[in-house]
Amino acid sequence: MMSAHALLIVPFQTLGFMRTALVACVALALANGAVGTLLVLRRMSLDGDVLGHAVMPGAAISFLFVGPSPTWLSLGGLASGLAVAALAGMITRDRTRHDAGLVAFYLVALSLGVLLVAWRGSNVDIMRVLFGTVLAIDRNALLQTAVVASMILLVIAALYRPFAAGAFDPTFLRAVAGRVPYDAIFAAMVVLALVASFQAFGTLLAVGPMLLPAAAARCWGFGVASSMVLASCFGLLASLAGLLISYHANLPSGPAIVLSAGLLFGLSLVATHLLRRLTSRLGERV
Amino acid sequence: MYCAAQPKGRETALGTVASMAADDRVALRDVTVRYGRRVALEAVSGEFLPGCLTAVVGANGAGKSTLLAAIAGTVRLAAGSVHRPRAQRLAYLPQLTALNTDYPLTVQELITLGAWRDIGISGAPDAALRTQVTAAATTVGLQDRQHRHIGELSAGELQRALFARLILQDAAVILLDEPFAAVDARTTSVLLDQVVRWHQEGRSVIAVLHDLALVRANFPTTLVLAHRCVAWGTTETALAA
Repeated sequence: MMSAHALLIVPFQTLGFMRTALVACVALALANGAVGTLLVLRRMSLDGDVLGHAVMPGAAISFLFVGPSPTWLSLGGLASGLAVAALAGMITRDRTRHDAGLVAFYLVALSLGVLLVAWRGSNVDIMRVLFGTVLAIDRNALLQTAVVASMILLVIAALYRPFAAGAFDPTFLRAVAGRVPYDAIFAAMVVLALVASFQAFGTLLAVGPMLLPAAAARCWGFGVASSMVLASCFGLLASLAGLLISYHANLPSGPAIVLSAGLLFGLSLVATHLLRRLTSRLGERV
Repeated sequence: MYCAAQPKGRETALGTVASMAADDRVALRDVTVRYGRRVALEAVSGEFLPGCLTAVVGANGAGKSTLLAAIAGTVRLAAGSVHRPRAQRLAYLPQLTALNTDYPLTVQELITLGAWRDIGISGAPDAALRTQVTAAATTVGLQDRQHRHIGELSAGELQRALFARLILQDAAVILLDEPFAAVDARTTSVLLDQVVRWHQEGRSVIAVLHDLALVRANFPTTLVLAHRCVAWGTTETALAA
């Protein structure tokens, strides 16, 4: 029987890459908790998914010309993510075409990215771009992730009021804030968070650690700030659980983390449902 | 176009003076709005003078909400132009369906947004503002609901909270899109009292409405729309047209 120390501490005590991965996950969980909560509250989960894949073509082009450099992959991903966010913003004006347009972006960006990587790279490169390599994060990539996560948190803290007003009543925000493009700034924060997650989770999974902990936190019905804190805590818990499952069961770490976040979402759904039923039954008796 | 002259520059409940200026008039010149190939508004011209209390009526799809959006500047004009007051002097309340009530704002936070002009994107509300928020909540009968999330409110309570936000906005021109739709008679009475108070303070109120009896009883001027301007003048003559 394995002791708690061997189960929980030894993997991080003995392996440097596990510690680096955990620190990167902590930074990502903090930024993703704030961005993901606002995405869920703004009913923009599909937009987040599309932007996750929008990172792919730019990162693939960087890969073609520079190779697997984390900095250049991030810069390429950032450029194509922002370009697609701008295009998505333009089609958002017509709500009837919104969903179909976003799905078209999602499919085209993903296919284009895979083709570009396959053109010069191997299957291993494709898998790395699609699913990430959280255990291969080096010191430079960790520093980049920490800086981007800090920037995102600072911007969201500074612009929280317009982001909240725009999420509840976009017409009011346009009326009081004039031409300041708060929606575009928020979309840029989403792209930045996805680019920061790209190396760890790849283009297919990057949106998972952003949306699943936020959706799980939302089930509990707290206010915005509490939901952000709870989403970050869920993100941390999922990261820790995923990394340990990956270590002990010799499974890929990115999918293990996303699956753990999915499990937390499922548990939150069931627990809050049961809690509501219990509360209403107690209310009936009183 | 006609709009009855109103008393100007009276003291308001907030203690500020809503002094009407020439810049507070709303003038439309051949305003045309299209959604794709569909014409929502065609060549509407006229002027809402400062201090008017005007109802905008017409059948469903006649372009009433589009007219308000055109005045607020939230829809692109295919032709024509709108003269409107600067943004800080204009307040626009769209229909309730345009709001995302899943967002966990409290009533107090929602009302405080009305003071955007003073607190901006990051200023903290001071004691004086908090008092104004409570006073506005009390005016619309929500003094006991200030800490509730907006998702827990009924349609009528949410509309009351939005009216309290409008009180804080202290605007010279107030645009209301179907403010009494889906609210009960008691709420309608509270909100209508506030509309009349704004009018008495010398502010312009332009409201999209369906209830013609309510329009006849409370609104001195009416604009009848059917994509084009069918009639615009005193309520009696406009509704007889």
